[in-house]
Amino acid sequence: MPATTKKLPWQPFHRNDMLPPKPPPPATTGVLGWLRRNLFSNWWNTLLTLLGLWFIWVVASSLIEFALIKAVWTGEDRNACLPKDGVEVGACWAYVNAKFNQFMDGFYPADQEWRYLTVYAVGIALLVPLLIPKVPWKGLNALLLFGAYPVLAYLLLYGAPSLGLPIVETTQWGGLLLTLVIASVGIVISLPLGIVFALGRRSQLPVIRFLSIAFIEFWRGVPLITVLFMSSVMLPLFLPEDVTLDKVVRPLVGVALFAAAYMAEVVRGGLQAIPKGQYEAAQALGLTYWQMMGLIILPQALKLVIPGIVNTFIGLFKDTSLVSIIGLFDLLGIVQTSLADAKWSTPTTAPTAYLFLALVYFFFCYGMSRYSLFMERHLHTGHKR
Amino acid sequence: MKKIVALALGALMTAGVATAANAGTLEDVKKKGHVQCGVSQGLPGFSNPDDKGNWTGLDVDFCRAVAAAVFGDPNKVKFTPLSAKERFTALRSGEVDLLARNTTWTMQRDTELGLNFVGVNYYDGQGFMVRKSLGVTSALQLNGAAVCTNTGTTTELNVADYFRANKMQYEVVAFEKADEVVKAYDEGRCDVYTTDRSGLAAQRLKLKNPDEHVVLPEIISKEPLGPVVRHGDDQWFDIVKWTLFAMINAEELGVTSQNVDEMKKSTNPSIRRLLGVEGKFGENIGLTNDWAYNIIKHVGNYGEVYERNVGPKTPLGLARGLNALWNKGGIMYAPPIR
Amino acid sequence: MSTTSNNTSAIASAASTDELAVQMIDVNKWYGEFHVLRDINLEVFRGERIVICGPSGSGKSTLIRCINRLEEHQAGRIIVNGTELTEDVKKIEEIRREVGMVFQHFNLFPHLTVLENCTLAPIWVRRMPKKEAEEIAMHFLEKVHIPEQAHKYPGQLSGGQQQRVAIARSLCMQPQIMLFDEPTSALDPEMIKEVLEVMVELAETGMTMLVVTHEMGFARQVADRVIFMDQGQIVEMNTPEEFFTNPQSERTKLFLSQILH
Repeated sequence: MPATTKKLPWQPFHRNDMLPPKPPPPATTGVLGWLRRNLFSNWWNTLLTLLGLWFIWVVASSLIEFALIKAVWTGEDRNACLPKDGVEVGACWAYVNAKFNQFMDGFYPADQEWRYLTVYAVGIALLVPLLIPKVPWKGLNALLLFGAYPVLAYLLLYGAPSLGLPIVETTQWGGLLLTLVIASVGIVISLPLGIVFALGRRSQLPVIRFLSIAFIEFWRGVPLITVLFMSSVMLPLFLPEDVTLDKVVRPLVGVALFAAAYMAEVVRGGLQAIPKGQYEAAQALGLTYWQMMGLIILPQALKLVIPGIVNTFIGLFKDTSLVSIIGLFDLLGIVQTSLADAKWSTPTTAPTAYLFLALVYFFFCYGMSRYSLFMERHLHTGHKR
Repeated sequence: MKKIVALALGALMTAGVATAANAGTLEDVKKKGHVQCGVSQGLPGFSNPDDKGNWTGLDVDFCRAVAAAVFGDPNKVKFTPLSAKERFTALRSGEVDLLARNTTWTMQRDTELGLNFVGVNYYDGQGFMVRKSLGVTSALQLNGAAVCTNTGTTTELNVADYFRANKMQYEVVAFEKADEVVKAYDEGRCDVYTTDRSGLAAQRLKLKNPDEHVVLPEIISKEPLGPVVRHGDDQWFDIVKWTLFAMINAEELGVTSQNVDEMKKSTNPSIRRLLGVEGKFGENIGLTNDWAYNIIKHVGNYGEVYERNVGPKTPLGLARGLNALWNKGGIMYAPPIR
Repeated sequence: MSTTSNNTSAIASAASTDELAVQMIDVNKWYGEFHVLRDINLEVFRGERIVICGPSGSGKSTLIRCINRLEEHQAGRIIVNGTELTEDVKKIEEIRREVGMVFQHFNLFPHLTVLENCTLAPIWVRRMPKKEAEEIAMHFLEKVHIPEQAHKYPGQLSGGQQQRVAIARSLCMQPQIMLFDEPTSALDPEMIKEVLEVMVELAETGMTMLVVTHEMGFARQVADRVIFMDQGQIVEMNTPEEFFTNPQSERTKLFLSQILH
């Protein structure tokens, strides 16, 4: 190659010592950096931020004024919560206090309250360790919670005269107790049933596939209200006169099957997202269909659809309030019924009641939602897809 | 589509009647040891749970009266709270033995649905409430008013009929829930609040200043509320009907839960027959002869029940009005026991 | 072994079935109208290492996937380890237990650790105690040179490491036959070598192997036989020396010229 006199527009370069990492510029980190980047990056975002803060202030301050500052905390009847000298009062917590037992358990006999409190306590004692990933003995724990606990709960809640527990008929159940019973039975039944129908819908066997599709589409095509009316109004007419299906069991079955159909579709979405290679790898190792599904496919599919599953659970929890229109006193039902008590009728009774309801429903739904986020992060094993 | 559903429902209802009507309700009730009574899920003064969870109200007390008549014990009753939509099915299917759920007695219900109304335990009717500051004293002065009411109920239709008949203009402000209606009225979004008079009394308690409002004298619809039983069981029909009559007769004769034991010694033949001292009126309807004594002793006469649940001393504060006895300016009237 | 014969369709082998790991007789398969395998006849002897190559869509993957019934053949017979593949699910599962498979995209179970990936099948399919399964798993993870990754999840490993785990996972079932379906095609160049090394070491243990690959260096080094497929049929089959130095078919020559530069 002949030596060239032409100068290169760039210099040859090489590096032996690699550069160490440097910290980012200070204006982009820390509280100030964060504020500037996220809240005040330009005049438009600044305006939005201020508007948002103003909105929060308006809503929160009036809510706090109503719920706390102007609230009435004690009293014997409506007179405590009436406007005083023409000045309106806030939330009538005295009324919630007076009705609190009813809101919790409906018409459950006062001297038997320990029974459902025991059911709660045992339920929490079994559920919490199961929800915390670090606690060992998950298998035994699950067996107790899903095997022994329902029996115990049934015996305690309904009663067993042979064990000295007088019967408390389901018509006396109500309030939060009934809401929790319907929601938890619905959740416990709908998930496995939904999985079965999701698998059925993807089955190779035409009859099973058809039955699964028929089930899912039927329940998805009918509003829950219709299901509840069917179960409470029509069912008694079909059944022989001496056969009466329990008034609580009817919507329980309806709610569980309804949720199962939605659950099936959620799970099916998860199943479809699992690559074919996972099935093939499992088959190539000689796993049977059920081993493949139970050990490889479902754990991954369910993990993928945790948000959808919890969504369905939350929906189910809130849908339980629909049973109030068929004459059951779930939390919503009993609170609305208590509004009919002239003893506590005041301008703020109804707003107080609905605020209380909102807080209770929010507590449970938000709890489920947070737990699902935690579970998603915990189960994330860093696989890219 | 609606028609088909209605037809199907109709067919089912008839089927329900056929299976449920043949039962001897009294025997059933005695066998299971309690009266199963359908009540409202919550209606001020008629059926609502008190702070301790005990059901109270005019309708509830009627259920207790039937239990007292059958068993001599007003507590041998269980309440099935029913929504408006399911109440008739529950009765026809035998789920409840008796419906005391502020149900308006109409011809269609009495004849077509396979039901029997035993009488009237509360004469209700649609009324109007206005602000005192409006200076209105009669509904006929309401031309051009904005009227708050519930959507899709007969109250809305009644208002339309009334204003048309009197050649008046009006504007409807309708809401789904009673709580919304009363709030709109209280905020001044309408001039008039209309619903049943008993409802007006209950909703009035939710107003910021109840004293600034007045109920107008006009009643624009007839809403006779009464207990209901199934068609086809005359014995049970008689028992429930005469429970009501016994309570009304007791008030007329001055027999109360306080004085009923002394009244047994009364020489008035009407009282002696009522309390079973003379005659076998109880046995004739399948009960004991002290059936009415038990009702009055444990539940009280009609007047007592009225005063306790909806009367002037309760928050509802409803005057007797039409529900006063026939000889006291009202129309409550019961056939004699003889 | 009639390795010099051009006629692949009429091998009348005298070999007893004990010596045969896989026997395919007149196997045909269609995807709808598309004839993907045409009159395949192949006998694989125990301990033999066979490399199958050919252009994409030639049916080579389908061929080995028929051996453990990931694909169903519609005509002909396939006998694996003396058991014929039929609709019988029990027999399919029996064959799959003895036939390991390594996939192009590894197909590790992402929700299980490396160790759990390896012990799952021995525990559930072979009913092996967990402790024993873990010992075996660690043994094979050492063989593929990644025992230190045993408690990581597949997502935390490089592609080459994942493929070696996949090989170990198959070996943990202690199969008699190993199928490799383009095991290095999805790997970055610097990782191909580590996987091929493991495969060479495996070949040295005397494992029966059917390998679909384009790694001709590997074929030269370990294969007893090289099979070239095109359009769903076996076009040429020979020892590696003959195959690479003296290809007979025009299609083979064209193919080799394209991949060997």
